[in-house]
Amino acid sequence: MTEIVIQTRDLDKEFRRDGFSITALHRINLEVRRGEFLALMGPSGSGKSTLLHLIAAMDRPTRGEIRVLGQDLRALSDREVARWRNRHIGFVFQTFNLIPVLTAIENVELPLKLTHLSKKERLAHAETALRLVGLADRMHHLPRQLSGGQEQRVAIARAIVTDPDLILADEPTGNLDAASAQEVLTLLAKLNQEFGKTIILVTHDPHAARFAGKTRYLEKGELLPEGQVPD
Amino acid sequence: MFRHIPLILKNSWRNRRRTTLTVLSISVSLCLLGLLMALYHAFYLREAPPWQARRLITRNRVSLAVPMPIYYRDRIRQVPGVQEVMISQWFGGVYKDSRDPNNFFARFAVEPEKLFVIRGEIRVPEDQKRAFLAERTACAVGRRLAERLGFRLGDRITLKGDIFPVDLELTVRAIWDAPDNDEVLYFHWKYLEESLPPARQGLVGTFSILAERPEDVTRIAETVDAMFRNATVQTRTETEQAFALSFVAFLGNVKAFILSIAAAVTFTILLVSANTMAMSVRERIREVGVLRTLGYTPQSILGIILGESVLISLAGGLLGCGLAAVLCAVVRNGPIAFQQIRSLSVDAGVLATALAVALAIGVLSSAIPAWGASRTPIIQALRHTG
Repeated sequence: MTEIVIQTRDLDKEFRRDGFSITALHRINLEVRRGEFLALMGPSGSGKSTLLHLIAAMDRPTRGEIRVLGQDLRALSDREVARWRNRHIGFVFQTFNLIPVLTAIENVELPLKLTHLSKKERLAHAETALRLVGLADRMHHLPRQLSGGQEQRVAIARAIVTDPDLILADEPTGNLDAASAQEVLTLLAKLNQEFGKTIILVTHDPHAARFAGKTRYLEKGELLPEGQVPD
Repeated sequence: MFRHIPLILKNSWRNRRRTTLTVLSISVSLCLLGLLMALYHAFYLREAPPWQARRLITRNRVSLAVPMPIYYRDRIRQVPGVQEVMISQWFGGVYKDSRDPNNFFARFAVEPEKLFVIRGEIRVPEDQKRAFLAERTACAVGRRLAERLGFRLGDRITLKGDIFPVDLELTVRAIWDAPDNDEVLYFHWKYLEESLPPARQGLVGTFSILAERPEDVTRIAETVDAMFRNATVQTRTETEQAFALSFVAFLGNVKAFILSIAAAVTFTILLVSANTMAMSVRERIREVGVLRTLGYTPQSILGIILGESVLISLAGGLLGCGLAAVLCAVVRNGPIAFQQIRSLSVDAGVLATALAVALAIGVLSSAIPAWGASRTPIIQALRHTG
């Protein structure tokens, strides 16, 4: 039996806006095992991204338990959470979110600047990551000199350069054309199959979800039982 | 933190026009600030050069315009520690056209044989010195003054009296060099004295005193003034540097004036810089969210933003100090009203203070936006559209 890397129990997340309380997630119980490629699907506002943010410790739950890689995230201070995230999480955004003034290799190098690696080692790692995503010939290009698909591949290189345990992708194909989306999804599948990375893919695109080994659905902040598909 | 310097550099240069304008606005302000600090330093903080440290000036306690009896000279000469005392009489007068400020320069009637003792830093060829000492109507002019007004040896200079009811016909017999204060014309006091009506004779405006040692200066000043405390004409003795500064005081409270302008300039730069940094940070809140997602702590983000602001401020500060140095050189070498201006320069102290001000502006102007940005929750930062 493979190790459980994500475990939530009765996880709730509420937001307060203008005096009103909005429930984004309600009693989420989720288990993800090492090496899984899980797609989280659901309509807009169903809580997919919120759940991803809680797993990445980018936000704190209102109630319930969440353990990721054996770590109770609620017990960590802000500084510890930042270090933990840098070591264990690779995050891919829908809008790529590359730093526009940095070249591809400098963007990929960013997370490594928080490690003890030397400049030479950092660049070697960043180069390897860019080669892995097929952008060896675009290393010194600025984001504006790249296509959307290439930008997203740089973002994936940035997410994997620290060799994280978990890759969390939030609608990574949402801003891409079909061909680029296919490339990105193929790349994620490769990272899962060939490198054994645990990946959680948030998407509302059924085609994208087919690249994952398992799909779970969220509806109105609630996680549907495994195997259940919304009406 | 050093690992983030490339990011800081690139972020600083992200909006080139804005950065250039910010650097320029800071540099212009710091140029003005540097100039004001250089002025303040030249007037109030400059240490007297070694040749000036032993010199004092005695004048009438009531006013510089009221003379003292000439016999005070001999009384002062007897004070222990006094090496020499010289009559030094401001003549005033008009050279050519008084409406042209270029024709203004200091003219002093002195005892020529003592001049080169009191002002030991003066360098003059021996033959010229002898010619100056030998001739009652001779005058000696400083090199810079001679060059400015085209005086050559043998030239005749007419000074039309205003304070004194005499016109003097002088002949240039010596052109001397000195490290500073070389825009002065010296002539024989006896020539002036003999030209005056009897009622104006026997009176002197100031005495120049040379102490044997710099440590004696304060005691000599106190002793001289104490000596005449109960006399009809009381004296005021001070160092030559303090005496020169008293002319600056005629303009008003120059110290407060300089400090208040400097404070206003600093505050204005702070507002300009704070506005720019606030805009710059607001535009990049989303990137702050991305960096936080990658594992950057609020502290490291705070450091990156502060570093960027400090870099821009220091660039402006360095440029401003360079401009101030150029301005100081221009002012220093032009016609001047106060001798202290000759030492006007952006020295290490002024440079260090100006750069410290630039550093403080960099930190203060971005502290609040940087703090706010670094503390923005990640999700809120990532949703920011600025």
